Amino acid sequence: MISSFWMICLLLLGSVTQLIVLASPEVNDSQQQRPNNVYNDLTVTRNKIVTAQFECYQKIINDNSPNGRAPVCNRTWDGWLCWDDTEAGITSEQQCPDYFMDFDPTETVTKTCTESGHWFSHPDSNRTWTNFTRCNLHTNEGRRTAMNLFYLALIGHGLSLTSLFISLAIFFHFKSLSCQRITLHKNLFFSFVLNSIVTIIWLTAVANNQELVQQNPVSCKVSQFIHLYIFGCNYFWMLCEGVYLHTLIVVAVFAEKQHLMWYYLLGWGFPLIPATIHAVARSYYYDDNCWISSNTSLLYIIHGPICAALLVNLFFLLNIVRVLITKLKVTHQAESSLYMKAVRATLILVPLLGIQYVLLPYKPSERVSAEIYDYIMHILMHYQGLLVATIFCFFNGEVQAVLRRYWNQYRIQFGSTFTHSDAMRSASYTASSITEEQGCYSIDGHSEHLNGKNCHDINNFVKPDNPFA
Amino acid sequence: MHLILHIVFCCCLLATVAPSVNSAKYDLKRSVWPQRSKRHLSLAALGTLENSQFVRPDDVKDSMMPHSSTDISVRTKRSKNSISQSRRPGCSLGTCTVHVLAHRVHDFNNRLKIGNAPPEKISPLGYGRRRRSVPEKVISLRQEGRRLRLMWSSSRVDKLEALLKRT
Repeated sequence: MISSFWMICLLLLGSVTQLIVLASPEVNDSQQQRPNNVYNDLTVTRNKIVTAQFECYQKIINDNSPNGRAPVCNRTWDGWLCWDDTEAGITSEQQCPDYFMDFDPTETVTKTCTESGHWFSHPDSNRTWTNFTRCNLHTNEGRRTAMNLFYLALIGHGLSLTSLFISLAIFFHFKSLSCQRITLHKNLFFSFVLNSIVTIIWLTAVANNQELVQQNPVSCKVSQFIHLYIFGCNYFWMLCEGVYLHTLIVVAVFAEKQHLMWYYLLGWGFPLIPATIHAVARSYYYDDNCWISSNTSLLYIIHGPICAALLVNLFFLLNIVRVLITKLKVTHQAESSLYMKAVRATLILVPLLGIQYVLLPYKPSERVSAEIYDYIMHILMHYQGLLVATIFCFFNGEVQAVLRRYWNQYRIQFGSTFTHSDAMRSASYTASSITEEQGCYSIDGHSEHLNGKNCHDINNFVKPDNPFA
Repeated sequence: MHLILHIVFCCCLLATVAPSVNSAKYDLKRSVWPQRSKRHLSLAALGTLENSQFVRPDDVKDSMMPHSSTDISVRTKRSKNSISQSRRPGCSLGTCTVHVLAHRVHDFNNRLKIGNAPPEKISPLGYGRRRRSVPEKVISLRQEGRRLRLMWSSSRVDKLEALLKRT
């Protein structure tokens, strides 16, 4: 008991000296705001190193695998990292530790075992030496890129949220628009909205809040679970859109209305399974603070199904385009305009079905290309909501027609006498109900006439005078 | 026809679960050792340091991250003088970028860590090897009343504790 008391005293003394020697101005500021937290703050680095050292010694003691053949460099603790027995002439590498703010954990540390079976000694000092120099070489660029991407993501999600809210308001306000296809759009948009909100919260309130991650409350793990669930929902609603379009266009056998119950189950229900499995697996095998680390293969539990859904969507897209081209060929159009239309249809459907992630599946390992890839991927990911809302709501022919009609009605109402506008309103009401009859009902009714007037999506692609909708 | 379509989709969904199970297995295999060491370690921390918060359980968990811990075996490469690409344990799919970003933002802005690595430790006079040999003695668990206590079964206890404190 007494010895531990002394140890605490020693540690406190150590941390105070560290505070005086090492603290940068802004750290000092934060210290003054929270004086009761002095002890915790500067010992994070220290704790990490001490823990790593402890583990290393345990490993050195416990692991006694025999090797008799070639000369080896003995396993060792170099002061920051633990090194296994290494055969002569081989350079061992590990990822940089995350002890310091200016260490980039994506860079590597190397330690060379010379031909004679001794660890490499630096010629300048003639001391055994590990090459940590690459750890803080590009950290500033790395941090700048990360912060750029961070703000890019926040702006993207903000814009997406605005446009998605407007689209949802339009879809819910104008009842004449409602049909199965729009119901699916509403769900997809809603999942986009939730995803944007949760991602913004996760990035700003958890990832950028070190005190919270350090405290590691249960609520932040719950929020990571919700984040991953909503993330999955978003992609599975893209799959639902793919399934619906494919069923409507390619599997044209069903004359009856499709059962939306299956779509709800797939879109909102299924992502619960990977999210739950991930949460359970994470709590057993990789229980880091707030589950914020991305250095675990357990993330594939979430992203495997998402990837599979996107692959299925790619297949659907190809099939839809194939059918579209065959149907267009029947109408004996010029080859060039035919392919233009097919390309346009594909481009319209790519963001809806999330195909862009399949086209750029893996991150390159080289530094510059990885950075370019990061920028492209983040723009595609965080601005997808904006793109989808724009194409499928603002550029949609039906929506534009409804809005124009509403605007005319509004103008007339305030531009003329009261009785006059009343008559006009009733007239436009009948007009809208007629289009309603022609519009959505017919999609559900006679879907076998593919490039006729029944299906609006196909209609959009075929109509030559209208760019998108 | 309806039924067939549903069956096809059920199969698709099952197929999606398969890779996740695989990856879980992979992680399970890898994490048997850290799991054990975690228990050892928290026990050790509790036992030897009497809850002094010298090494808190949270920090132990946190340092289970592969790049900072010792549980992942060191990758070696055969060819000399060429930097071979080491496989990272994380997720490198396109859709994972948002988690990677969150982790990077967290890492780079962690003001609770010391800002700059001491340059003298990276310099030629810096980190290489502190210990010259593997200790012959082994740690053991001793029953003490109702709880286990970690003990170094040799007279080198003081030396090792000193090592532990000095970093």
